[in-house]
Amino acid sequence: MARNTYKQDESLETPFNVKHLMRASVYIKKYAAQMILALFISALGGITALCAPIIIRRGLDEAVPAGDTQLLYALCGMLVGTFALSVIFATIRSRIMVKVSQNIIYNIRKDLFEHLQKLPFQYYDDRPHGKILIRVVNYVNSVSDMLSNGLINIVLEIMNLIFIVIFMFAVDVKLSLVVLAGVPILAVFMFWVKNKQRKAWQQVSNKNSNLNAYLQENIVGARITQIFAREDENAEIFADLSGNCRRTWMKAVGYSNLVWPGIDTISVLVRGAIFLFGLLIFGQGNTSLGTIVAISSYASRFWQPIMNLGNIFNNFINNIAYLERIFETIDEPVIVEDAPDAEQMKEINGRVEFENVSFSYEKGKEILHNVSFTVEPGESVALVGPTGAGKSTIVSLVSRFYNLDSGRILIDGKDISKCTLASLRSQMGIMLQDSFIFSGTIEDNIRYGKLDATREEIENASKIVCADDFIRRMPDGYETEVKERGALLSQGQKQLISFARTLLSDPRILVLDEATSSIDVQTERALQKGLNAMMKGRTSFVIAHRLSTIVNCDKIMYIGDGGIMECGSHEELMAKKGAYYHLYTSQMEDIA
Amino acid sequence: MKKPNTSKEEWPFPKSRMGWLWENLEGSRGLLIAAMIGTVVYNVLQLTVPYFSGRLVDLFLTGPDAVSNLRDRRDLFYLLLGLMVGLTIIRSIIVYWDCMAYERASQSALYRIRNFLYDKIQRQDMKFYSTYRTGDLMTRVTGDLDAVRHNIAWVIRMLIEGFSLVAATAIYFFYMNWKMALCLLSIAPFIFCIIFLFRKRVGPMHANLREKLANMNTIAQENISGNRVVKAFARENYEIEKFDECNTDYKETNVKTSMVWIKYFPYVESMANLLTVIQLLVGGLFLIKGEITMGEYVSFSGLTWAIANPMRQLGNIMNEFQRFTAASRKVMEIYYSEAEIVDAPDAISHEGRFEGLVEFKNVSFQYSDGKLPVLKNVSFTAKPGSTVAIMGETGCGKTSLIHLIPRFYEPTGGEVLVDGVNVSKYKLHDLRSAIGLATQDVLLYSDSIDGNIAYGDSNITHQEVAKYARYSAADEFIAKMPEGYDTIVGERGVGLSGGQKQRISLARALAVKPSILILDDTTSAVDLETEKEIQHSLAELDFPCTKIIIAQRISTTKTADQILIMEHGEITESGTHEELIAKGGYYAQLVKLQNGSEDYGA
Repeated sequence: MARNTYKQDESLETPFNVKHLMRASVYIKKYAAQMILALFISALGGITALCAPIIIRRGLDEAVPAGDTQLLYALCGMLVGTFALSVIFATIRSRIMVKVSQNIIYNIRKDLFEHLQKLPFQYYDDRPHGKILIRVVNYVNSVSDMLSNGLINIVLEIMNLIFIVIFMFAVDVKLSLVVLAGVPILAVFMFWVKNKQRKAWQQVSNKNSNLNAYLQENIVGARITQIFAREDENAEIFADLSGNCRRTWMKAVGYSNLVWPGIDTISVLVRGAIFLFGLLIFGQGNTSLGTIVAISSYASRFWQPIMNLGNIFNNFINNIAYLERIFETIDEPVIVEDAPDAEQMKEINGRVEFENVSFSYEKGKEILHNVSFTVEPGESVALVGPTGAGKSTIVSLVSRFYNLDSGRILIDGKDISKCTLASLRSQMGIMLQDSFIFSGTIEDNIRYGKLDATREEIENASKIVCADDFIRRMPDGYETEVKERGALLSQGQKQLISFARTLLSDPRILVLDEATSSIDVQTERALQKGLNAMMKGRTSFVIAHRLSTIVNCDKIMYIGDGGIMECGSHEELMAKKGAYYHLYTSQMEDIA
Repeated sequence: MKKPNTSKEEWPFPKSRMGWLWENLEGSRGLLIAAMIGTVVYNVLQLTVPYFSGRLVDLFLTGPDAVSNLRDRRDLFYLLLGLMVGLTIIRSIIVYWDCMAYERASQSALYRIRNFLYDKIQRQDMKFYSTYRTGDLMTRVTGDLDAVRHNIAWVIRMLIEGFSLVAATAIYFFYMNWKMALCLLSIAPFIFCIIFLFRKRVGPMHANLREKLANMNTIAQENISGNRVVKAFARENYEIEKFDECNTDYKETNVKTSMVWIKYFPYVESMANLLTVIQLLVGGLFLIKGEITMGEYVSFSGLTWAIANPMRQLGNIMNEFQRFTAASRKVMEIYYSEAEIVDAPDAISHEGRFEGLVEFKNVSFQYSDGKLPVLKNVSFTAKPGSTVAIMGETGCGKTSLIHLIPRFYEPTGGEVLVDGVNVSKYKLHDLRSAIGLATQDVLLYSDSIDGNIAYGDSNITHQEVAKYARYSAADEFIAKMPEGYDTIVGERGVGLSGGQKQRISLARALAVKPSILILDDTTSAVDLETEKEIQHSLAELDFPCTKIIIAQRISTTKTADQILIMEHGEITESGTHEELIAKGGYYAQLVKLQNGSEDYGA
């Protein structure tokens, strides 16, 4: 599993096939009725428009030679009526299609976003976030027109084409064949362009994605850039990425722009051929002049829809590069998901058992090997050990953020892989190392733990975790807008807010993963009281390096070497004089 | 071109939209002008080709002498045929070249503006970053900027195309019959009126639409970044609802914006159709009166499209132009934004290393949107090579204090000096290059570990990277990773534990061999054994450096030359470990507390 970076193009797992268009049809089907109606109305509009030349011809053939102004007025009136009708039809079609196309984008985006919510951490860990973002926002925007108006226009143009071909053959078969002789040339040309074009547009999407990734990382990491005074170098990298976008774009439009002049050239060659063949080779005797005029006018009419189709085709090729990325994301396997017969996890009592649990993030690199332990309801367990030993992994597994390689995890005797994720996780209170703060008010951030919490509940939770004090000192108290990522808050303050958020969610199992590392000792001390109250009656897992925070836990597990090296109460482990004893005494020495 | 300033408020930028575009077209202005001329040329060609094919049909097919002409005037036949085919091919080549020229010009402006924006953004101060959200900025650099590109590549071309078609046709019409031409062109003012009204209506809609797009981008961006919290609280449904709200909002605004055009479309379309009606009516009457010939009538009707189509297209063009108007304003806002913290005009260059003397003289600080001062009258001196530890309660101003040294913010009172010179007098680049800062909130890049450590100085060797990793006690765990230093860590270093991230961040700060090293609680998630190791190597760095360390642990601070205790933005105690214990104040209490067991210290 190679992680992706901004420098790296994302290889496309599945080559394009018709499947993608079939997939897209799911989104279209929903609006099939409207689209057919729009198609029907467009066809009506087309037929109405055909009346105009007839009316005009009558005017020129009958009214003008006869000098009949009355008839001329009447015909003009009819013409106005015809046009009015066709305008009405066109307006109705646009009205329908605007809604349809916007609904299609809306639905694709919605599905994409919903699927993203189900994807595991790994998905987010493996690629720059900018690359995910560009799919949700930019790519989806690109495909809307193709899936709505593009389709209708294809049908209309093809119908148009069929009519013209029929008329043409009815007039003269031989000359029609001359017209159609251009088609194989066209087909070869289009096929060649298509292949080049497709690759070129994929490159464009890759390069844009890379640029987006770099941009996002550097906006988020602006402070790092500045402190390392790396602006010049970054600007160079960005210019490079930006240049790649420009280069691939020019290449892609270089092919796309060939289509229209290409068809135009082929069409004029065909028309020239008609004159040449019609007049010189078939001779006057065989072919009437009228026929040549008719065929030559059909020929130009024949090429019009083909040119339009060429444009639509261009659009398709260009957007399929985006569409396949969208479907790739929607098809991304959801690794951790509800089993088909998953049950609701009942209110958790708090007994947690690991039965021979083995786990690895990457194949062959086991983090945990055959780990078994039991935590009784209401017990507090501290996990200690060197960084990277797997402490965070153990607590992530309790919430089933990952699937096990082997073994089982039971809560209240029930295998968690057989419960719905929502019912499990909503009863867990997890405080992560990185306390993410959303933009919004402090109140909103705390409320994230319990969406229907009252202001009073929020304030109470804040008081318990000693956050109330500093929040009240903020410019607008609880209504203070914290900027993205909580830029105005210190890390410790963020941790306190995230504490309040967890407390408010009233979890049955509490997980504190280095939750107090950035909080000063004084505050932590005060917090400890609230924390004790919070841990009472709840099974809790605590990871902390500051051992003072964990000595009171019921059970301490020393994690190392892929498993539990020592387990027992503080006193027991101290008596054992093993790894924990060593750790503890060294810490005490430091302070002394 | 239209005047950009339509809103009542004053235009806030030094250049108009078009002036701004022109400026950024530098290097491809000639190309763009050539492209515009090219557009005129191919449109004129487009009008003339039918003339030759018409002559061909008249002379050799339908005309009274067609048969004899074909026999006797073969040369002319071939000439006309050749002209028809040849000119079309020439036109195709010009069209291709022309489209590519627009693309090239627009890409070169896009490239230039995009790079400029990026550089502008990355040099902004913290105030800017708390004003603009990531998703919003990204929309401006990508989606909004694309509307600017589209304006050059498409809108300008279509505008020129329309005008050249209409102008050429109008001239031809007037040449043939001025009365008929006048009648036909009489509808032009009406079309312009409608388009003008449309423009007024749709302008604000587009501005609104850009906002909604930025909003959606922001929500999605935060959701992706915060995916761990979302999962931890099982808030997927809430997030979906939140996103659905802005997705719906965006959709509806889109529909509304399009509906504005659909409202005006029937009028524009009817006007364009009216051309044909006028032609039949007036043309018919003129024919009856003998004012024009049938041939002239046919010429008129053969070219009606050249006036009608541009009129139809005008609405579209205006719609796109308004999109550009709204988008470019957002782009220009960043383009012309000025950071407040920049090099002073007379900034001093400082080559080489600093001594490392850091002084705070009565420094006060308050965030511009804050109500209370964060720092009050802070004074202290960190001698070159010494270690200063800062401790204090959460939110007491420690981080704000150290952020003043690399001039992330300007103090509201007092002075921050490095080597005896006010930091605001140095060039930012020189000052910051001399400082190694490992922040609280560790942010790594999706790059190899090697690349992350060498972030501040990409010229350092792998050996050096490994050395600094060793200093930070990171060498061991990195070596254990499958690809060692080449292991790619995800964005924000996910995949690494908190302690591991902090150690990489420390190595990154050390790798620039800073004269001043600032550690903002950098070892909080590191276990104590490892931390001890780090303390040890920090004491033995192979370059001279002043260390300013924010820490919670006594173990980190006790060997410091000076410990500062902060409370509500003020320094309340200062001295060495022993002095402060003897003083029996906050620090002494802290030492007691950290022990954790009541018997200690008793």
